[in-house]
Amino acid sequence: MVSAFRPLAAVLLLTSPALSRAADPTHARIDSHVTKGFGEHKTHAGPASDDEFLRRAYLDLVGTVPTAQQVNEFLADSSKDKRAKLIDALLASPGYARRMAWFFDVTLMERGKDAKVPRAAWEAYLNATFAANKPYDEFARELLSNDGSDPKTRPAAKFFLDRDLEPHLVTKDIGRVFLGRNLQCAQCHDHPTIDDYKQAEYYGIQAFLNRTFLFPNASAPTAVIAEKAEGDVSFMSVFDKAKKLNSTAPKIANAKAIEEPKAEKGKEYKVPPAKDVKPVPAYSRFAQLANAVTSPENKHFARNAVNRVWAMLMGRGLVHPVDTDHGNNPASHPELLEELTREFVAHKYDLKWLVREIALSDAYQRSSVVPAGLDDVPADRYLVAVLKPLTAEQLAYAAMQATGHTDAERAALGAKGTEQQLDARLAARIGPFRSMFGRGADQTADDFSATLDQTLFVKFGGPVRGLLPPRAGNLADRLGKLTNPDAVADELFASVYARRPTAQERQDVADALKGAKDRQTAINELIWALVASAEFRFNH
Amino acid sequence: MPACTYACGTADHTVSRRAFLGSTAALGLAGFANPASAKDLAKQQKRVIVVFLEGGLSQLESWDPKPNTDTGGPFKAIQTSVPGTRYCELLPLSAKNAHRLGIVRSLNSQTDDHGVGHTVMLTGRKPEAGITYPHLGAVSARMLGSQEAALPGHIRILPKGGSGFNGADAAFLGPKFSSVGLGDGKPPADLFRPANLPAADDEVREAFRKKLDERFAKSRKSAATDAYTESFVQAERVVKKAEVFDLDKEPSKIADKYGRHDFGRHMLLARRLLEAGVTYVKVSHSNYDTHHENFDFHIEQLAEFDRPFAALIEDLADRGMLESTLVVVMSEMGRTPRINDRYGRDHWGKCWSVALAGAGVRGGAVVGKTNATGTAVTDREVWSGHLFHTYMKAVGVDSTKNFYPNERPVPIADPKAAAIDEILV
Repeated sequence: MVSAFRPLAAVLLLTSPALSRAADPTHARIDSHVTKGFGEHKTHAGPASDDEFLRRAYLDLVGTVPTAQQVNEFLADSSKDKRAKLIDALLASPGYARRMAWFFDVTLMERGKDAKVPRAAWEAYLNATFAANKPYDEFARELLSNDGSDPKTRPAAKFFLDRDLEPHLVTKDIGRVFLGRNLQCAQCHDHPTIDDYKQAEYYGIQAFLNRTFLFPNASAPTAVIAEKAEGDVSFMSVFDKAKKLNSTAPKIANAKAIEEPKAEKGKEYKVPPAKDVKPVPAYSRFAQLANAVTSPENKHFARNAVNRVWAMLMGRGLVHPVDTDHGNNPASHPELLEELTREFVAHKYDLKWLVREIALSDAYQRSSVVPAGLDDVPADRYLVAVLKPLTAEQLAYAAMQATGHTDAERAALGAKGTEQQLDARLAARIGPFRSMFGRGADQTADDFSATLDQTLFVKFGGPVRGLLPPRAGNLADRLGKLTNPDAVADELFASVYARRPTAQERQDVADALKGAKDRQTAINELIWALVASAEFRFNH
Repeated sequence: MPACTYACGTADHTVSRRAFLGSTAALGLAGFANPASAKDLAKQQKRVIVVFLEGGLSQLESWDPKPNTDTGGPFKAIQTSVPGTRYCELLPLSAKNAHRLGIVRSLNSQTDDHGVGHTVMLTGRKPEAGITYPHLGAVSARMLGSQEAALPGHIRILPKGGSGFNGADAAFLGPKFSSVGLGDGKPPADLFRPANLPAADDEVREAFRKKLDERFAKSRKSAATDAYTESFVQAERVVKKAEVFDLDKEPSKIADKYGRHDFGRHMLLARRLLEAGVTYVKVSHSNYDTHHENFDFHIEQLAEFDRPFAALIEDLADRGMLESTLVVVMSEMGRTPRINDRYGRDHWGKCWSVALAGAGVRGGAVVGKTNATGTAVTDREVWSGHLFHTYMKAVGVDSTKNFYPNERPVPIADPKAAAIDEILV
C-alpha cells in the first residue's frame, strides 16, 4: 500500500496550488510546467538512475565522461543531496567554461572558417568569458560592437569578421543566432507562410550594418570594420508588381526604430575618408546595434538564449528548431519559455544560473529508458529524456577519458602538472574528431546521421585506434593487470560507460577473455567495442 | 531453340553477371525476387558520371570547331560517325563515338568566373545569397540511390590531393549525400583494416559491439541509434567491396584501352565504381585554363582526354551500362573566341558547349548553333538551369518536384528553365 501511495503523493504535490507559486525555485517551476504539459499522457519515464544522471551531467556540464573513480565515489555516496552537490561542483570546475566555450563556438560560428580571428585566440576569449560567467547580454554586446581594431579584444569581432561582414549573411545570422528568427526568406519578400517574418524586419537589421565595410579590404586577414557616414537600405518585394521601393531606419523586431541625428554638412566625419585611411563617421549606426539587440525592449534576445541553452541540455528546444521562433511555430511549453526568459533577465542574464536550474529539474533528471506501454514517444513532451549525439568535442574528450588516455597524460605530466597543461595536451587531439564529426551546427537526435567516413574513422582510424593499446596508467594498462574477470568488467564499464556491468555483461567479458588467444589484445578490442557502441555515442 | 541458360558463358552473360552483382545491393531483395534479365536490372539503376574539364575547355578546340575563321585557331574539323557533324581534330576517338553523343552548342552560362561557373554548372542555379543549392551529385545520390547501397552514392575523383569528405556540396540534403572525394583515385581514408587488427580479432570485437548495441536498443531504441548502428553494417559492406578501388583487378587489355596515365586510371576507376553500384561519379581532368598557348595545351590535354573518354563510352556500351548511365562532359566555362596576344584564350561563358551521352540521350543529336566565328548563340540559347533539368529528365527524375528543407519548398531544378527535349530520346 505504501508503495502505491507514494507516486500519488508526488503527483498531488506537483499540482498543488501551494507549490506553483512563482516564489518557488525555478527548477520546481520548470517541473510544474513540464508536468502540466504531459496532458493526456499517463506514462512517463521515472527518474534517471544515479549512473545515468552522472554520465549525463558530466557530458552536459563539463563535456566529458567521469573517471572510474568518480563513478565509484558517486554511486557509493548515500547523501540525499548528492546530485545537487555534483551539479555545483561541475559548474565550479574549469570544465564548465570549456564546455560552454565549445557550445557557443558552434552556436555563433557554426563551424565556419577561421580566417581573420584565429581559433586559439577565439577559444581563449570564449573560455575567459565563461570562466568569469560573464552575463550573456554583456557577452553579446561585445560580439556585436567590436570592430576588430584593438588587438587585445579583436577575437570578439569574429562573428562579423569571419563572415567577411557579408551583408546578407550577417543579417540572416544576427536574426538566427541572436534572435532565434530565421528571416532568410524575408530577404526578397515578406515570408509567404510565416506571418510575422517581414521583409522590413530583415532590412531593419541590415540598416545597422549597411554603412560598414572591411578596411582595408575584405580579403586582408587583419581587416577591421570601418563605416561610412551615409547610405540607407532600400528594398522591394519580388512579389510586388508595382515595384515600390521601401526603406527602413535601423530597427530590431518590434522595438522602436533608431532615430538618427541630422548630420551637419561638412561635419559628417570625425575622420574623413581618404586613400588608405579608415574613415570614422560622426554618427555610427553600427555602434547602435549591440544595445538595440540586447535591449530589454527586444523580447527575442533573452528568449532565444534561454531556448538554446534549454536545447543544449534537454536535446530539443522549447521552440524547435531553435531558429524558427514565430507565431506559426509556437513553443511546446509557451508559459515555461516566457517564465524562464523573465527569470533569466531578472538574474541578469546569468547563464550558469540558467544551466543550474535546468539541471536541477526532474525533467532534466528523467531517465532515457522508454517505459513499457509508451510505444510512440511524442518528441516535444519530455516524457522520456531525449538522446543527444555527442558533439565532436564531447566525443573526443569522452573517448580520451574513457580509454584512460587522459589519465595517462595526467600521470605523464607528474605532480607539478596543472589542469591547464593537461587541457592543452588534450585539446591538441580534438582536431581529427572536429574535422570528422563537426560539420555545421551540432546534431540533435532529430537530424542525426552517421556517415561512412565517420564510422570508418571509429573502426580503423588512427586517432581512435591509437587510444586503445596499453600505456602507463591508461585503461588497457589497468585492465591488463587485473586477473579477476569480474574486476576487469567492473573497471571497463565504469571507465567507458560510467556504470556497473550487469551479471550478463560480466559473463560476456569473462567469456571474451577466456576464449582469447592474446589476453591484452582482447582487452584492447573490448575497450573499442564499448567506445564504438551506441551507448557511448549518445548522451542518454 | 531453348532460351540461353546463364551457364552458357557468352560474353553477354559475363556482362549480365557483373551488372547483376553491381545492382543487387541497390535493389535489395526486390532484385532477387524479380529474376529479370541482367540488362533489365542494370537499367533499373540509373547512374551519372560527370567528366569535369577544369579550368574551361575551349569549345572551338572540341565540340564546336570553326576552322578557317579569325577565331578558329589552327586545327581542322573532322568527320565523325554522324554524317554532317564535325568535331575538332583533337578528338578523333570521341568522333568515332559521335553517334552515341549529344552536343549542346548554345550554352550561355552567364559567368566568366571559375568559382561561380563551377557552382552554376553543378547546381543549375545562379548564386543567391542565403541559400546554397545541392550539387548534381548530391541530388543524384538522393534521387537515384538506394538506402541499401553498399558504396557511397556521391564520389568525386580528383587529380591529386588527399581523400576526404566535402560537407558543403549536399547543402540541405544533408551529409549523407555529400561527396566522398578520392584524391588521385585513392580509396577513402580508413577503408582498409589496419595490419595490426587481424580479421579474426575484428570479427570478435564487432560481435561484442553488436551485442552491446542490441542490448542498448532494448530500452532506448530510436531512429538515431538505429542510424548509428546501421552505419556499421554499411561500413562492413564497403570494406567488403574495397577491391573496387583496386585497378589491378582489371584485365590489362582494358587498362591499356583507358590509357596508363592518371586520367586514364581515374576514368577506369569511375567505371568500376559505377559498375559496383555508385550512383554518381565526377572525374576531374586538369587543367584547361589556357590564357597562354591555348593550342599547344589543348593538343596535350585533349590527347589525354580523348582516349579514356572514348574507352569509357565504348566500355559502358559493351557492358550494357550505357543506356542506364548518363555521361556529361562539362567545364565551369568555355574560352573566348578571340585569341589573345599570348596565343591564349580567356574566360568565356557566353556561348560554349557540353557533351552528353548514355541514359536518355539521343545519340548523334546536336542542339543549338553559334555564329560563324563562335562569338554568339544564334539558335536555342540555354543556360545551366536547362541542363540540370535535362540531366534529371534523362535519368527519369521529375525535376519540377520539390525538396522541403525546413518545410520550405525548393524545386529540384530552377523553375525558370526546362529540359532540352531535343537532346533526349
